[in-house]
Amino acid sequence: MAAIKITFNLNGRDRCVEADTRWTLLYLLREEFGLTGTKRGCDMGECGACTVLLDGLPINACQVLVVSISECRVTTIESLSSNGNLHPLQVAFLENDGAQCGFCTPGFIMSAIPLMEIDTPITRDQISDALGGNLCRCNAYGAILDSVHAAIDGKSHV
Amino acid sequence: MLRLMGNPMSENLGWVGTSPPRRDLRDKVTGRAEYAADISFDDMLYAKVLRSPHPHARILSVDTLEACMLPGVKAIVTPFDIPDGRVAPDVSILDQKVRFVGDEVAVVAADNPFTAELALKLIKVSYDVLSFSSTTDEALSDSAEPIHEDGNLINNEPLVEQRGNIKEGFAEADLIVEESFTTPAHSPAPLEPRTALAKWDGSKLTVWKSSRGIHADKTALSQALGLPAESVRVIGPHMGAGYGGKDETRTAALASILSMRTQAPVRLELSREEEFVAGRRRHSTQTTLRMGLKKDGEITAIHAKTVMDTGAYLSSGPGVVRRAGQGALYLYRCPNVRYEGYLVYTNTPTAGSYRALGAPQGHYALECVADLAAESLGIDSLEFRRKNHVTIEGQPGERITPVNQIVDTQPSEGGIPFSSNGLSECLELGADRIGWGQPVEGIDKSASRSIKRGRGMSMFIYRGGPGGKSHASIALTKDSSYSLSTGVMDVGEGSATVLSQIASQVLSIPYDAIDLVMGDTDITPEASITAGSSVTFSSGLAVKNAAEMLRDKILYQASLFLGEPQHVLSLQGSEVTSDSGALLSISDLVEHSGPISAEATIVPGSPDYVINSFGAHFVEVEVDVETGKVNISRYVAAHDAGTVINPKMAENQVRGGVSQMMGFTFLEDMETDPGTGIVVNSNFLDHKSPTILDFPDIDVIFADIIDPIGPFGAKSLGEPPCIGPAPTIANAIYDAVGIRITDLPITPHKLLAAIKSHKA
Repeated sequence: MAAIKITFNLNGRDRCVEADTRWTLLYLLREEFGLTGTKRGCDMGECGACTVLLDGLPINACQVLVVSISECRVTTIESLSSNGNLHPLQVAFLENDGAQCGFCTPGFIMSAIPLMEIDTPITRDQISDALGGNLCRCNAYGAILDSVHAAIDGKSHV
Repeated sequence: MLRLMGNPMSENLGWVGTSPPRRDLRDKVTGRAEYAADISFDDMLYAKVLRSPHPHARILSVDTLEACMLPGVKAIVTPFDIPDGRVAPDVSILDQKVRFVGDEVAVVAADNPFTAELALKLIKVSYDVLSFSSTTDEALSDSAEPIHEDGNLINNEPLVEQRGNIKEGFAEADLIVEESFTTPAHSPAPLEPRTALAKWDGSKLTVWKSSRGIHADKTALSQALGLPAESVRVIGPHMGAGYGGKDETRTAALASILSMRTQAPVRLELSREEEFVAGRRRHSTQTTLRMGLKKDGEITAIHAKTVMDTGAYLSSGPGVVRRAGQGALYLYRCPNVRYEGYLVYTNTPTAGSYRALGAPQGHYALECVADLAAESLGIDSLEFRRKNHVTIEGQPGERITPVNQIVDTQPSEGGIPFSSNGLSECLELGADRIGWGQPVEGIDKSASRSIKRGRGMSMFIYRGGPGGKSHASIALTKDSSYSLSTGVMDVGEGSATVLSQIASQVLSIPYDAIDLVMGDTDITPEASITAGSSVTFSSGLAVKNAAEMLRDKILYQASLFLGEPQHVLSLQGSEVTSDSGALLSISDLVEHSGPISAEATIVPGSPDYVINSFGAHFVEVEVDVETGKVNISRYVAAHDAGTVINPKMAENQVRGGVSQMMGFTFLEDMETDPGTGIVVNSNFLDHKSPTILDFPDIDVIFADIIDPIGPFGAKSLGEPPCIGPAPTIANAIYDAVGIRITDLPITPHKLLAAIKSHKA
């Protein structure tokens, strides 16, 4: 099968892979790099479980072919915490019971990251809009909203 | 497996009634929590399933020659080359007959998933296509082709449960109300598609599987594959939830056979479409419910008849059809009741367990008819329920269950009291919170005139709590730490946390100081599955008993060591203290006595009481009569779950359950095309589920009830929140616009059409 050499930046580190042209970014992360924090919920861009940041913006990793990420920056849930220090969003999810089964959690957290960079006050409706593409079948939406809201307000204890 | 190491330095006691964080939450927010598809081996093969394009057919032959020649294909298994094992009474590992579009025909293992997928296209199958039934009406017709040997009506007769004599009951009635209802086949659609990874090492099979019952899976797998039980180990990693729908062994059996054939680990991970069609869905139903009443509102008779579509295979159908009757049989005090449940095979995806089983379907009919009855009598809906709800004394009638025998959690006979019954409290607390009886707040002047507001309510009973035999092992280890082991699974509902809270309170230690081992059949004691809202009650009791035994053993050893009587000693965290002031550290005690352990096995239940959970839901809706869209402006869920072990988790479980059933009420319907038998919406875009944008304001109230039997007074909670939403909302829509929608889901399209024809 056709392979192509791709260089990109994964969680702050430059990488070069011989990618099968059929690989999606989700496949590459999970099956080749073993970064399984990014979940495969539908493989069709419908559920948001595989949300990662591509050049800082949330995207569904299942909808991106590896051949298209040349020279891009990819950020996954694994890079958010280091040496046991959690990202403020992760802390907020911990403090607000923001997960039940937890399968959607990495996707929600990655989708919420751009909200943390907005300087103006954000309403709960705006948070919902930003997270509307992520499904949680436990319907832990209330606690997820509380978590993201707390993180944005700086209420979580980092 | 789930192994949570204890933190002896923890400062959060987290005992019963407080809300410490879930013990596995840190792993979940960092992406470290491992689910079945996250586990892999270097030499692992990927499996894909060839599925039937026909709803009903005999397989005449499967030609795999070309597929086998494809480089990278390692094994193909067909119905013609596997042993005769069964993964369920009516399900072979692979069968030479297919019964729905999507039924398993063959399975391929290859180096990578792309090759496996390609190989499927090269397999040639010859079918003898049979006529099929896509509805229960078709399946029950005389000309229907039998889907299984014994015909399409399970047992060839309905399940009948009754008390008293309904004929007499209806004869006494001044008034009879009756209505018919349908409910959809919706999918639990867990975000994690089911996955099984099998590894055969020549003598032992290890299977990692999305599972809520590893010990049941182990038994089913060893029986299906003809392996001794000790040769099978099932490991349950974190579960991307299932809501009941992942009880199924075929996926794991196929991965296991491929691993045995190839001598390599094999992962079979379903696609989203496969999870919809080859997973489990809720039983669709048609229910007719009749209620006889005296003028003063007393109920003289209830007769409910439900026809339930179980799809291609039986799965948990018998339990579901029975639970669909519990509301009619037990929620209202009534001497004469009869429930008939027909369970019918069709050539559609298999129905199985889905949160609250048949209760949402049964209560939808019952609680809409109750409102109908109240209206016919000119009584307020709340008043009607205050007058007629079953009380702690239970139902009228004679006890049939022999004295000393444990009472079923869902009896039909009367004469047996409840252990506790908070229905009255739930009705009053919920009514007070929503402002029942006060005018619905006026329409916002700026809002469109097309908005009509209304309120609705319903109540429910649920037979959760006592499940199967439950075990727990607990130990004070040689390094002076505590270790708890149980065979149940935490499926995302939080049992790992709740069971830790129960054990820690008995042992006077922080809830996360205890090592917890779950999810591995080789190192946990046998347990029943995480089902029927039973874990907190049943495994909770086993854990509490085991912890109490361990505490007593520790105190006994301490009394020998200190030379003081046991009754003056108490366990206080990491030390034993005496009334005399003497102190003994646990580490000194262990050095002297060695490790100490205790095990408890309980058969949950009571010979004296029915143990059930209760609740009442209330809602305020806004119906836009120009679009048919319904907005939930306020929702109040009042529950009697006994003592609430972890209030924050419990509250989120209730809010989640209510929101999940907004799908059942408004959106979800897994539709089978009657011409082809194909499910036309097996994806998240077409089988729409609620998103965060749909999440309403849900107020959760717990009645102050302490059950005399449950651990620390707890009862069940996991499924009950799912029972109330549909009837509560349907009743509110009626209040708002005078239209009773009797077939779920209440889509804007359906409601708008009803509003238009109502006007005309």
